[in-house]
Amino acid sequence: MTTPTVAAPVRPAPTPDSPAPSRPAVPTRRRFTVAEYYAMAEAGILAPDERVELLDGDVIAMPPIGNWHASNVDLFTNTFPAQLYGHAIVRVQNPVRLDDDSEPQPDVMLLQWRDDFYRDGHPGPDDVLLLIEVSDSSVDFDRTAKLSAYAEAGIPEVWIVNRPDRRIESYSDPSGDEYATVRHYDPGESIAPQAFPDVMLEVDRIIPAE
Amino acid sequence: MTTPTVAAPAPPPAVSTPPSRPAAPNRRRFTVAEYYAMAEAGVLHPEERVELLDGDVIVMAAVLDWHAFVVDWINENFILRLQGRAQVRIQNPTRLNDYSEPEPDVMLLRRRDDFYRSGHPAPADVLLLIEVSDSSLSFDRNQKLPRYAAAGIPEVWIVNRPDQRIESYADPTGDEYATVRHYGPGESIAPQAFPDIVLEVDRIIPAETE
Repeated sequence: MTTPTVAAPVRPAPTPDSPAPSRPAVPTRRRFTVAEYYAMAEAGILAPDERVELLDGDVIAMPPIGNWHASNVDLFTNTFPAQLYGHAIVRVQNPVRLDDDSEPQPDVMLLQWRDDFYRDGHPGPDDVLLLIEVSDSSVDFDRTAKLSAYAEAGIPEVWIVNRPDRRIESYSDPSGDEYATVRHYDPGESIAPQAFPDVMLEVDRIIPAE
Repeated sequence: MTTPTVAAPAPPPAVSTPPSRPAAPNRRRFTVAEYYAMAEAGVLHPEERVELLDGDVIVMAAVLDWHAFVVDWINENFILRLQGRAQVRIQNPTRLNDYSEPEPDVMLLRRRDDFYRSGHPAPADVLLLIEVSDSSLSFDRNQKLPRYAAAGIPEVWIVNRPDQRIESYADPTGDEYATVRHYGPGESIAPQAFPDIVLEVDRIIPAETE
């Protein structure tokens, strides 16, 4: 179940009385707000078991999860919690609300610890300490469309686990829709979240040789 | 009111089955049934001018006075001169397939006693389709035309304001038209289905002084 069903939208749900959006100068793809995205799920337009996310007003269908991808996400999920319990919440393949027209579901996020576990509203960009995308077939999409959306929202640090090139790309210092600091971590090296420099992970363990 | 509200989609989409998953993240395409459900659920505003093209909801460009004039002029000439030999449809839908329901500026349809009350016309019902193009020229030529060809619309005219000509496209094969002809000032053009209805280009696109 990954179609949105729980959190309340930022903006009120659309009604026939709300003003029609303004008309563009040229024909343009209709972008959807988070509120409209939830209304689509409510109306059954998006099926309950459909894997989708909202990015910059576009509803994105996610590819099937391959075994490499799933195993990699599990590895993070199982490595982080013991060290971070009480300091950060590990959120796996669940939403973050970037703004009114983006609600992606990153593979792994470390969130500011909150006792209520964000029960009353999805985390926003300020709540995210580290965001990880595990990229195999999706590496182009993750590096272009998603990364710029994360930078624009001010997500402080993003890792892309790049399977094709067998390295981890670390992006930090967001400015505009880019990250000013980019570092690649290759096999033999170790990487740690900026927020938790003592939590060291070996690249070889995350991306074993194939 | 141009958001779809009248014609019932073939099967009502109470809950849709999830489409097959893409190999890489991809924009979610919507079916005609889902498009209507969006209007029903208030996701699309009743006064929003939208159309569905290959699964994308497209917001139409604002209507310029020039555009309105050309559509009105063609409308009046066709209605008066065809005298019921074809149904003239202005800025109303045609259902190309499960993923496309555009609203072309002008269509000549096979005459039907019920005026297509029970369902939007299909490509086989269309004798001529006209797009009046100013700011929308590249969209009409690159996005719409290939879909009209693929659906088998037999003849399309693009009234091309920037180049002051009418482009006629006929003999659809694949997603292209095999026969293309341009009609400039001083020339006349007639629908293939009604060779006797001759229109002067100069009347449709009066010379502009700027």
